Amino acid sequence: MKDDTKLRADLRLVLDAQAARLDAARPAAVARQDKRGRWTVRRAVEAIADHDSFVEYGGLVRPATKGMEGAADGLVMGTAKVGGRPIDLVLYDYSVYAGTQSAMNHAKITRMFSHAEKHRLPVICWLDGGGARPHDMHVTARPSTPTFVVYARLSGLVPTVGISPGRAFAGHANLAGLCDVLIATEDSAMGMAGPPLVEAALGKKYTPEEIGPSSVHYASGVIDILVKDEEEAIAAAKKYLGYFDMQQPAGEAPDQTLLRDLVPENPRRAYNVRTVIQTLCDLDSVLEVKAGYGKAAVTAFGRIAGRTVGMVANQPMYLAGAMDTPACLKMARFIQICDAFDIPLVVLCDTPGLMVGPEVEKTGLMRHSARVLSALANATIPVLTVVLRKAYGLGYYIMGSRPLEPAVLVAWPTAEFGGMGLEGAVNIIYAKELAAAATPEERAELHAGLTAELKRSNTAVESGAKFLYDDVIDPADTRDILVKTLETLQQPAPRTTRKRIIEPF
Amino acid sequence: MARLEAKSEVSGFVWKVETELGKRVAKGDTLILIESMKMEIPVVAEADGVVVKISVEEGAAVNEGNTVAVLEI
Repeated sequence: MKDDTKLRADLRLVLDAQAARLDAARPAAVARQDKRGRWTVRRAVEAIADHDSFVEYGGLVRPATKGMEGAADGLVMGTAKVGGRPIDLVLYDYSVYAGTQSAMNHAKITRMFSHAEKHRLPVICWLDGGGARPHDMHVTARPSTPTFVVYARLSGLVPTVGISPGRAFAGHANLAGLCDVLIATEDSAMGMAGPPLVEAALGKKYTPEEIGPSSVHYASGVIDILVKDEEEAIAAAKKYLGYFDMQQPAGEAPDQTLLRDLVPENPRRAYNVRTVIQTLCDLDSVLEVKAGYGKAAVTAFGRIAGRTVGMVANQPMYLAGAMDTPACLKMARFIQICDAFDIPLVVLCDTPGLMVGPEVEKTGLMRHSARVLSALANATIPVLTVVLRKAYGLGYYIMGSRPLEPAVLVAWPTAEFGGMGLEGAVNIIYAKELAAAATPEERAELHAGLTAELKRSNTAVESGAKFLYDDVIDPADTRDILVKTLETLQQPAPRTTRKRIIEPF
Repeated sequence: MARLEAKSEVSGFVWKVETELGKRVAKGDTLILIESMKMEIPVVAEADGVVVKISVEEGAAVNEGNTVAVLEI
């Protein structure tokens, strides 16, 4: 035991200064956070870091502006372990000048981001604050802070996770926008500028929640994971970082026979592809990202027999699984994350193709669908493709088809194939015959018959015979085949350089 | 008794009402089929309960998030 009763004065000074930054010495600040219904950052540190693993950096820093006071100048940071793995942790403290970014705490956070870069440590950012601290604008070094540049350069080098537990405006929103994965609480608000600046620019008063409520950011794809509160946010961050332990003991497998009846016999009937993902992965191992955006696709991390995988799937419940711009952007970015960190990718295909028509052209789908193809064509991670039902046109070409050289490409008995939509193909191939039909009814009947004929020549077994797939399988065997295929693939050695950046779109 | 609204996940048209007022349904049962993009998208019961309201008719347009039926659970 250390004897604290007979301390030298110099040590006593240090220990007092250290104690002053903790919640026990700051009852007024704790009360303010309580009043907001929010945790203190110290409580968040306790919840994020493994017990007794946090080493604080810059805890004695004071504001640069004379007369201002604030524990650690509003930014608590340091190294810690999460689930036994080292990380860097930075947390803005809203109880210090609304968590604003000051001259000194910019210097601090830049130090931590550089530390993460040098030592290749994942970063968790707790982003609760209102952007730059106006009082510090006179500080000489203030206008040239490298914080955001240094953070942007972590992209693809180390996993970056943002948590928005309250308010993240301006500079805080800037950091949020750079995170690989952004987690936010339902009552949080974020925006490029908060009420005072919005009012100055637009002449209208708004509350933070009117400017950027979580519902807006979830629907726009800004928020990856929407949670109830701080506790859920931290749990999601830990779950995400856990995937970077690429191999854990195999988890329990859900009942695989469920998959045999999952795709309805009626080809017009939709089903929820999330059930396929949940069934293929170890129990409780799935973490979906951007569920509120690009709903025609589902992107999720999970584990199959303990091995980390990324999953991208078409969602027949939405637009029949047709790939529109939001779905493509969501998939392309997810693939970039997987590729950057060597996470194998499982592709579940059930798409009638890329979305068509004048409306989607206005959204720039030509470019955005190309992002998905480009991401996959240039990725070096193994792709494991399962065709669940529809595999049509360029949509299927993108969804892990043969030219993308998947490690394995299998199809379920319900698989349908077409180089383009069959109904459209019939219109072109049999244009003369259709034009010659005597009545519209006769034409419709002829069209339906020809389409059905084309469909029959492209069933799963027929397509298997043409070697479109490596095999057509019992859906209940899918997980087993994925496990065995993953076992044939070597995990690359840990990288010493960045493989690729992850675009923040 | 709590009320549970069954909502459509997509915009489209009501293709078929697959349940009826007063019917006891189990979690996962299809209540309404929405047609969108030539696909039938089921709105299913999120819990066991009794259908106390059907808010739509066949052929009606629905928007994403619209309540199509109400269960008492």
